[in-house]
Amino acid sequence: MTSGIRSQFWHSDGRRLSGLSTLLLLLPFFAIIAFVFVYPIGQLLWISFTEPKPTLDNYARVVTNPVYARVLLRTLWTAVLVTGLCVILGFPVAYYMSRARAAVAAFVGVCVILPLWSSVLVRTAAWSFLLQRQGLVNSGLMATGITSEPLKLLYTQSAVVVAMAHVLLPFMILPIFGALRSIPDDYMRAAAVLGAPRFRTFLEVILPLSLPGIASGSLLVFLTALGFFITPALLGSPQELMIATLVSQQIREVLDWPFASALVGVLTLFVTLLALIFSKTLRFDRLMGAQ
Amino acid sequence: MKPSIDKGSLALGTYVYAVLAFIVIPLVIVIPMSFGQNDYLEFPPKGFTLRWYAEYFSSRQWWSATSLSVEVAFLTAICASVIGTAATYAMVRGRGRLATLFQILLIGPIIVPHIALAVGLYLFFQTIGLSGTVPGFVLAHTVLALPFVVFTTTAALGKVDASLEAAAMSCGASRFSAFRLVTLPLILPNVVSGALFAFIISFDEPVVSFFLSGVRYKTLPRRMFEDIEQNLTPIIPAIATLLIVLSIVVLLGAHLMRSRTKN
Amino acid sequence: MAMNREQTAGASIRISRLEKRFGNVSAVDGVDIDISAGEFLALLGPSGSGKTTILMSLAGFEFPTAGNIVIGSEDLTYVPANKRNLGMVFQNYTLFPHMSILDNVAFPLKMRGVAKPERYARAEEALATVRLAGYGERFSSQLSGGQQQRVALARAIVYRPRVLLMDEPLSALDKNLREDMQLEIKRLHAELGITVIFVTHDQSEALTMADRVAVLKDGRIQQIGPSRELYERPANLFTAGFIGEMNFIGVTVESVGEAIAVSLPSGEHWNVPSTSAVDPLQAGQKAVLAVRPERLQIGGEGAAFAFHVKLADIVYAGSALLLIGHLPDGTEIRARLPGASDLSTLTPGATAVFSVPKEAILLYAGGAK
Repeated sequence: MTSGIRSQFWHSDGRRLSGLSTLLLLLPFFAIIAFVFVYPIGQLLWISFTEPKPTLDNYARVVTNPVYARVLLRTLWTAVLVTGLCVILGFPVAYYMSRARAAVAAFVGVCVILPLWSSVLVRTAAWSFLLQRQGLVNSGLMATGITSEPLKLLYTQSAVVVAMAHVLLPFMILPIFGALRSIPDDYMRAAAVLGAPRFRTFLEVILPLSLPGIASGSLLVFLTALGFFITPALLGSPQELMIATLVSQQIREVLDWPFASALVGVLTLFVTLLALIFSKTLRFDRLMGAQ
Repeated sequence: MKPSIDKGSLALGTYVYAVLAFIVIPLVIVIPMSFGQNDYLEFPPKGFTLRWYAEYFSSRQWWSATSLSVEVAFLTAICASVIGTAATYAMVRGRGRLATLFQILLIGPIIVPHIALAVGLYLFFQTIGLSGTVPGFVLAHTVLALPFVVFTTTAALGKVDASLEAAAMSCGASRFSAFRLVTLPLILPNVVSGALFAFIISFDEPVVSFFLSGVRYKTLPRRMFEDIEQNLTPIIPAIATLLIVLSIVVLLGAHLMRSRTKN
Repeated sequence: MAMNREQTAGASIRISRLEKRFGNVSAVDGVDIDISAGEFLALLGPSGSGKTTILMSLAGFEFPTAGNIVIGSEDLTYVPANKRNLGMVFQNYTLFPHMSILDNVAFPLKMRGVAKPERYARAEEALATVRLAGYGERFSSQLSGGQQQRVALARAIVYRPRVLLMDEPLSALDKNLREDMQLEIKRLHAELGITVIFVTHDQSEALTMADRVAVLKDGRIQQIGPSRELYERPANLFTAGFIGEMNFIGVTVESVGEAIAVSLPSGEHWNVPSTSAVDPLQAGQKAVLAVRPERLQIGGEGAAFAFHVKLADIVYAGSALLLIGHLPDGTEIRARLPGASDLSTLTPGATAVFSVPKEAILLYAGGAK
């Protein structure tokens, strides 16, 4: 017994887990990921390349059919718009939060994080209340005399863009905040004492140093926006599908599995490729660390 | 000669609070709407009634959806935190051989669009009979929640000195008792907060649930989706209000848990 | 060097009745300092003494609650930092990590609208002044701490400011580098004739480098003067204890005249010269007799002033030998002797006699601490 303890303690690898225990501890993780993540997606990709016969026909259809090509372009364009909107709305908030007193920063942080952890459906429902014919936005527009009759806001692509930006904004703000917060105050002071007015300090020092955060946030928002389903399904027009809503339609209404699989394949491969290329830019730990 | 508040800060502050209003108002606005008397949604709501809450609590359909979601979320929280903590422990204390594979598979469920996973699982679970079942939902949601559990526990485990366990083992504890008696108590607040996040991720998860829900078994998000799609009644703001309160409670709980680790 | 002395000659600084309050707390409480053109002044004090707040007010990062700051002939009290035209070196170098060394040094010139070829030429010249010619293409992460701080110096002088502020610029460096940099900064000061204000909590650094040292405590100036004066005749008990080592012995003043008669705790009576009194003293009051450990000499039974000390410890530290002992009432006395002193007869527990040269004795009003 004593010798057992001693050998365990003095053994140079005593602190490290043995290879077998490591494997046993990791087994459930790898098993569930393989069974519930890798396999089902792999199966879809397999179908997309092999059914009805092993060709690239399904993919050719996605790209060559103008209706579907337009869906792809609309999806890309929407994701770009959402990303841009998030940068414009999110950067100043992140900047303000990084330079505010602790209490103010905490308040802003709560305003940013609370929506992140509330249901996407709640947020989407809220936008459909706001944007409907007799909704708050329309009554506001009419009360201020901007329009005389209610506008059609719901079931438009603009509604989708605004609501998606609302849902994804925290993913932009948190990485930018992380980058800005890591810039020491003395850099701003140094720039000032060396003669830079505030705007120049921002342009020459703060903005370049926050670029990694902006890149990380933009990539996260862009990639997530590409595959968005709930918001376009509930707020968008059925004539203006995005890729996720098109997939849903193909499966639930047309029952065209091979084609739907190809659509999923295009989306998944594109997103994964981008994520791999920019894997250094995506900083997930920062996203969680900022919470 | 003393400078007053400058215009730049004022403009920035105004802009920031306008954006915060944009973030918060759509959430806050559902709260008064849930008390409106009329059958259709309007703003400002007229009158005050608890009718929609009563309707939610007395509706069998809503109740069965809610209890299914609670059950799935609870089981997901347990599965994700056990599997996630075991894997994190192995990665932090192990020899780091599978680190790259682990990281890729961990990030996978965050990167790959949920619609892809949902469609894949829809097909796969139908063939093996897991579609629309509690185990099916729990498996799918565990995959989605795992990365968040691992992130929260990694942060805590990294701060626990490995020599603490070595010390416990030199006192005669086995590796497992060293973990259970020394390391686990130190990281428990983060494990619990990871479990809370897993709960809320599962409870609010709309996309996978949308495809896996059968005719009989529908999760709460799936029921809400149908209600929003078909007829917006004030029962949705009532449920939304309850869900916002739940988010606040869970976030507060997770925050309190984590601030305990710091002390 | 190539820098034109007339253009870079220092400016005088006048700080009057400076006050800074944060809520109820006074960080700076009525400070007056006159600094002449080209002077090297150190602000020395423990943390929270207000030295950094004074520097921040000079730099323009904080505006004082009251009082004003005049540099040259201009009142700069409320002028924003970027319009003051001062040079500043920070504790942690603060080189911008996304710019090359040359771009860092050229940054202030860019802000002043200097055309590109000229600003790079002048930046190269400034790098040469700090002996880092040829390092311009590198980035700060590729430089050692000492090199980074020299780049920071180059950046602070490249636009030829008339005043250079330094906020504990050497505290992040290790000891050897710190001494090199002290010399480097002194050399630059002599070469450029710039006025330097140097904040530090390291007294030996302040004493070595500065023409004058201002000692601060609780937002007030305790003493301001040349190093030698500060060390040899501290103006009050705080400065006496803060700068260097000091033995303090509580005494009672018996009479004041040609000489001052005091009684020691041991019952001895000393007639010390009246020039020893730093504060005015009256018969009957409590006072503190202070003497530096290195002024004590071993032996000399017949001396006019001597402590009879029971030795507790003898510590050999190479260049010096530290003797720690106690007077009969328990007051600790330390003596510092050259390391090579022969003390074979002395062991802990023995009684030693330390004679005190009369010019080494200082007397302050007040009780022993």
